Amino acid sequence: MSPKDFNKEFELSRKQLKSFLLRLTACAEDAEDIVQDTYLKASDKLPGFKGQSSLKTWLFAIANNLAYDNLRARVRWTENVTDLSKVAALKNPLFFQESMHIRQTSPHGNFEIKEHIAFCFTCVSKSIPLEHHIALLLKEVYDFKVTEIAVIMDQTEAMVKYYLHTGRAKMIKIFEGRCALINKQGVCHQCSELNGIFNPQQKFEEEAAKIEMVRAAANNDKEHLFDLRMNLVKGIDPFESDASELQLHHLQHNRTVMEEYLKKDL
Amino acid sequence: MQQNNAVTIKTTFSRETSVSTTINSDPEIIWKLLTTAYDYPRWNSTIISLEGDISLGEKIKLKSTLDPKRTFKLKVKELEPNKKLIWGDGQGNRIYTLVPLGKSSVQFSMSEKIGGLMFPLYSKYIPPFDKAFEQFASDLKKESESIYHTKN
Repeated sequence: MSPKDFNKEFELSRKQLKSFLLRLTACAEDAEDIVQDTYLKASDKLPGFKGQSSLKTWLFAIANNLAYDNLRARVRWTENVTDLSKVAALKNPLFFQESMHIRQTSPHGNFEIKEHIAFCFTCVSKSIPLEHHIALLLKEVYDFKVTEIAVIMDQTEAMVKYYLHTGRAKMIKIFEGRCALINKQGVCHQCSELNGIFNPQQKFEEEAAKIEMVRAAANNDKEHLFDLRMNLVKGIDPFESDASELQLHHLQHNRTVMEEYLKKDL
Repeated sequence: MQQNNAVTIKTTFSRETSVSTTINSDPEIIWKLLTTAYDYPRWNSTIISLEGDISLGEKIKLKSTLDPKRTFKLKVKELEPNKKLIWGDGQGNRIYTLVPLGKSSVQFSMSEKIGGLMFPLYSKYIPPFDKAFEQFASDLKKESESIYHTKN
């Protein structure tokens, strides 16, 4: 492959690489850095690329390896990250001032429930083991096949299946216990709370009902609800969506809260 | 071989219960399930909790539905990846073995022998293992096969 073709192909994968790395690290700057490192490493190794996999798979394998060296990707959060972050936000008037400023001035400062669902997935998925997290993202959000994920993660297909299955099971259980959108007994109502703050004119139930996962909640098919959640996440680019700046601000806040919390826990 | 009923052989100084079943899955998947302590309660209805690291020489703490009030402190005594795992204490050993039967088919067996000179004095306080063993093997089969059939 010529360097020119490589550059063209890399650009086609750049957005997905960047969002994958954001979802792993929860840090926009780290995601951008690792994308650049991936480009440099892949450029160096290009003569050795013999096309045993697609270039996209190969690039994700390099990015994934680099992510393993990133502390923010490796560190695991707690399932109740959004609870802890809420408590911290309520004690920090600056958080809401900054959020409101973004909401009022940025073209990417909308608050949308579906965007918050995707944001919530990014936060909560950092509580499952790293291998499960990676396998789940690659399969459910980036549409890689098990055989391709095995290449990216340098694991056997059997292990990838194990990570996928158990990762899904863990996430389904967490959302079943937490997410009030799919379970009335769920303890987390942050979508509606934040929607009330950022979109005070909206009726939350009407807005939420526009989301297929919310409409399907009554059927209580947990696997299907998780598939719908994943479809929703898949459809959102966390760097370019209408709500990206607001959600990246929230993500930075949650990451800081988690880093402080985990430091105290040591 | 499909799942058999558990078999218990009693003598004056010991009791041994065993069960085996054919699992249509990859041995690596079965092994991962058997050696990931914290994940047991998710798929195994006979285990309440299992703490620790299932590695050779490590100590683990097991709470089972057989005797929910007790925590068994056990040691991982033998570990041969994808083939054999033994944990136990001074009274007995639990042995798990995996034998390949062909491509993606494995014979899983588990057995536990408890006993010793004092065994006749306390044997009546130890509940039978048969049903729990059958359930363990059935849960492992179900979970392993479900994982194996994950879509590509």
